Amino acid sequence: MSFEWPWQYNFPPFFTLQPNVDTRQKQLAAWCSLALSYCRHHKLYTLDIMEVQESPVFNHKNIDRKLSTEAILIVFEELRKKGNLEWLDKNKTQCLVMWRRPEEWGKLIYQWVSRSAMVNSCNTFPPEFHGLEEWMLIRSLQALQTDGKAEVITMDDGKGVKFF
Amino acid sequence: MHRRGVGGELSPKNECAHLQNKYKHLSQFASKHKQEIHKSSQFRVQFQFCSRFSVSLTAGKGFCWQSQRLLEMLGVGDFYYELGVQIIEVCLALKHINGDERVHHQGRGKSAQNVKMTWWRAIKKLKAMENGFGVIPVGSSYLVQSVPAELNMDHTVVLQLAEKKGYISVSEIRESLKWERERVCHVLEHLLKEGLAWLDSQASGEPQYWLPALFSELTSLDVTPEEANQMTP
Repeated sequence: MSFEWPWQYNFPPFFTLQPNVDTRQKQLAAWCSLALSYCRHHKLYTLDIMEVQESPVFNHKNIDRKLSTEAILIVFEELRKKGNLEWLDKNKTQCLVMWRRPEEWGKLIYQWVSRSAMVNSCNTFPPEFHGLEEWMLIRSLQALQTDGKAEVITMDDGKGVKFF
Repeated sequence: MHRRGVGGELSPKNECAHLQNKYKHLSQFASKHKQEIHKSSQFRVQFQFCSRFSVSLTAGKGFCWQSQRLLEMLGVGDFYYELGVQIIEVCLALKHINGDERVHHQGRGKSAQNVKMTWWRAIKKLKAMENGFGVIPVGSSYLVQSVPAELNMDHTVVLQLAEKKGYISVSEIRESLKWERERVCHVLEHLLKEGLAWLDSQASGEPQYWLPALFSELTSLDVTPEEANQMTP
């Protein structure tokens, strides 16, 4: 299924950081939403700023508009504040994108596990969550652990998790 | 009392008197029902969204007009719509006669208040109500606004110009209307401030001011308040 662009994507001013504060807030919210949906659709978890500037999301060649580096960083800062993004380096050249936050993943995992009636038993990572990068999965399980719903266990052949 | 001319029109002097009477009647009416209006907490909740409305029939406590849909929700749609229509007629006529869209009225009795109304805005609001929800007519189409804006003649004229392509620039406006640069910039600043226009600084030549409501498909009147709020600044 191809990615569906929101109407703003074809609206030239969308790529100009708006001077009016209220308008800018709406613009940033729309950008955050677009960035996350795009990452979700393409299963992107790590972004490199230099690369991402040239990606179709921020560089819309058809209408000859692109979001400036400054603006991209502002959008990413919004995402960071919302818990959807984490910088991997001080210079802000690479980041982790959590289009689903660890807590949200944790919840999904726990629901899946509960449905599968695997509670109170030990298991290796569920195959349904294939594609989910390990660092994300571990964070999600840690979130569950904090909630008292799971425990990550190191075993001989890798890691396992016990659900409560 | 009224001397009607051959065509059934009132002479300006009598027209004025006729309107003043009408206006007096209307504001008395609004005053009388103000208590009921304010008693309803539903009104108050809804009207906190009306803070940009300037049609207030009582000083101090704003009595706000909202879209007809809202009024219908509150079960008073037709009634106040009627009232609104009459007020608009008075507005238009007074403006035509006096060239002034504002009327000051000193209330008497227990409502010894200044009743101030900006007629031009009242007209805009009514047109919004006609179409159901925060809609401003611009030429042959409409701008959808989640919160109606305060617009004067200059703003409206520029909006109408921009309607053709969905965007406009400073030089295009100057060329069309022969205005001073400052006047143009003032209008565009206001449109940006009201969220009716967005700035495009990557346009070739000079910046362009786009109207998102005309651009998107949301000029349809079926937009819900939530959608309009999200999509239209």
